[in-house]
Amino acid sequence: MALGSFFGSFELSSFINALILGVSIASIWLLAALGLTIIYGTAGVINMAHGEFIMLGAYSSYTLQSYLGLPFFLCVPASFVIVAAVGLILERGLIRYLYKRPLDTLLATFGVSLVLMQGVRLIFGSDPKYLAVPQIFQNNMQLGFLNISVFRVVVLAVTIGAAVALWALFYRTRFGVQVRAVMQNKEMAASFGIDADRVYMLTFALGAGLAGLAGSLFGVLNIVLPTMGASYVVQAFLVVVVGGGTLAGSVVAGGATGELQSIFAYFTNDTFARFVLFVLIVVFLRIRPQGLFAPSATRR
Amino acid sequence: MNIFYNVKAQWLAYVAFFLVLGLIPAYVDDGFLLNQMSTYGVYGLLALAISLCWGFGGILNLGLGIPFGLGAYGMAMTMQMQSQDSSNPIPPFMLNNSLDHLPMLWVPFNSTVIGIALALIVPTLFCAIFGGLMFRARVSGPFFAIMTLAMLSAWYTLILDLQPYTNGVNGITPPAPLKIGGFTLDPYSPLAYWTVFALLLIATFAAKLMTLSRFGLVVQAVRGDAERVRFLGYNVASYETAIYTISGLIAAIAGCCWVTLTQYVSPAQFDTTLSLSMVIWAGVGGRLSLIGSIVGAFIIMGAQSYLGDALLATWLLVLGGFFILVVRFLPKGLIGLVESLLGRFPVGLKKSNGDHQLPSGAMFPQAGE
Repeated sequence: MALGSFFGSFELSSFINALILGVSIASIWLLAALGLTIIYGTAGVINMAHGEFIMLGAYSSYTLQSYLGLPFFLCVPASFVIVAAVGLILERGLIRYLYKRPLDTLLATFGVSLVLMQGVRLIFGSDPKYLAVPQIFQNNMQLGFLNISVFRVVVLAVTIGAAVALWALFYRTRFGVQVRAVMQNKEMAASFGIDADRVYMLTFALGAGLAGLAGSLFGVLNIVLPTMGASYVVQAFLVVVVGGGTLAGSVVAGGATGELQSIFAYFTNDTFARFVLFVLIVVFLRIRPQGLFAPSATRR
Repeated sequence: MNIFYNVKAQWLAYVAFFLVLGLIPAYVDDGFLLNQMSTYGVYGLLALAISLCWGFGGILNLGLGIPFGLGAYGMAMTMQMQSQDSSNPIPPFMLNNSLDHLPMLWVPFNSTVIGIALALIVPTLFCAIFGGLMFRARVSGPFFAIMTLAMLSAWYTLILDLQPYTNGVNGITPPAPLKIGGFTLDPYSPLAYWTVFALLLIATFAAKLMTLSRFGLVVQAVRGDAERVRFLGYNVASYETAIYTISGLIAAIAGCCWVTLTQYVSPAQFDTTLSLSMVIWAGVGGRLSLIGSIVGAFIIMGAQSYLGDALLATWLLVLGGFFILVVRFLPKGLIGLVESLLGRFPVGLKKSNGDHQLPSGAMFPQAGE
């Protein structure tokens, strides 16, 4: 993503292109962060293996595509299901014993991420894999002076779709009411007959599945590598931290950080922009440590 | 009474531990092996820093690589400048990056004393400022851990990006060992080992004294319940910043030692995996015990050096799996096993190698109070 080198002096058209690219970056970061947001927001678990879930999503798509010949648009939901299943197993086998120790979940999931990364490396090797997409997605769209790849628009659409679906799930279904009740007060929710254990389990699987979905799309944007998760996970964490762990917070935080990254990168370069962004986030947290839209209710 | 909590026995264990470490050069003649043992001392320092910050302060720091790396870069720059003279005033890699004069950033490192001082001051100052900002905002727990991780990755990209000043991904390879006032510190000599040994010894004993002091007790109280300590009138943020900065200073010292021993530094020092490994060392050894953490670093790095070659591809798999098991079943690390083992023999054996630990949640008065 060496976009900094494309832009020399200030030009309105290229600046607007940078803004559009910012929207695309924001959509990628948000998509990476959605799963993390609901896992953190619901269960208070910092899932360090989230990047590896993304990587697993990319590899599941790759496997389905090259060994079973599944068309790409079927690989995406299949990756969702596969990684959700992995998440479910992980939650049942390990995470559920650690809910009372938030820092330990962070460490345990880091162990999981090592295992997943090395496991995938053993199975698939360290050489990069590629996901093929239909020809129309590989083109660039030209709208006046705007130029953007079609697939980035697809990612944006999927991100919007996923965010809206999550909103509907949390605010328009019975399950969503239960999740929000458990978020606010686990014991109280449990005393009203909500199975908190089941809510945690399902949200964890859902969050993992979203990472898988993100991974199958990111595998097209970038090459598929066992280490690819690390490049997304820090941004995803920042989106969650800035957003405060709520869905709305993550949407706004993802948009703001992605757009700022693109604007800074326009004036300097990609890596320096990232450094400036991180420093800004530190300063922001000094002013609003609880994030943009922190839940007002009590936490565990 | 479990002898594990007996402060005298603990001091005895520390003395015994360092006596054993001190005997190593008498039995190891091979310079390469001795150099490797010295690098373990550096890992020990890092594990000690993690133990202070995380075990005693309750602050999980996933970015200890920042002070470590900054210290290492400072030392590498100092050593690099020792090899430059008036006929050859700037490091070779800068010529390749088409710099024709020494950048401002490098000028202070012409002086060995100022260079080493900067290698220690800059990372410490960074920790003080970053920690101060975060803790004053009451960012704590997992959020702080994430922010240190983010900061670490920011430094990584920055160092990588400043190719003309840091030689990017290749890193700096000072051609000659460190010279202090006409004296050369050969990294393969017993003297290098003794230097690291002395630093580890001083740091460990100072840390141990600190945990027994009033300051250390408040820090441990903050780990227990920051809100209650705040209600008692303590400025929690200053205590957190202090312990975080002290652990940063120890990591900076470790960084300096690392470069003197290996004559090499690269952005890999800022790699997230390295910083997380430090946490694993302390976690496996027992973060609540200074000596447990150090031993944890020795065990894991020793296993990585010797088993790692045999297992090669599966090493990370084994390490990750082992770490999961430790977190799940042994939250106090391997030293927790020693603790429960000694608990079976009320008083008798004079040997224990750990700090006082409290069963989580227990609040009985601690040694030194």
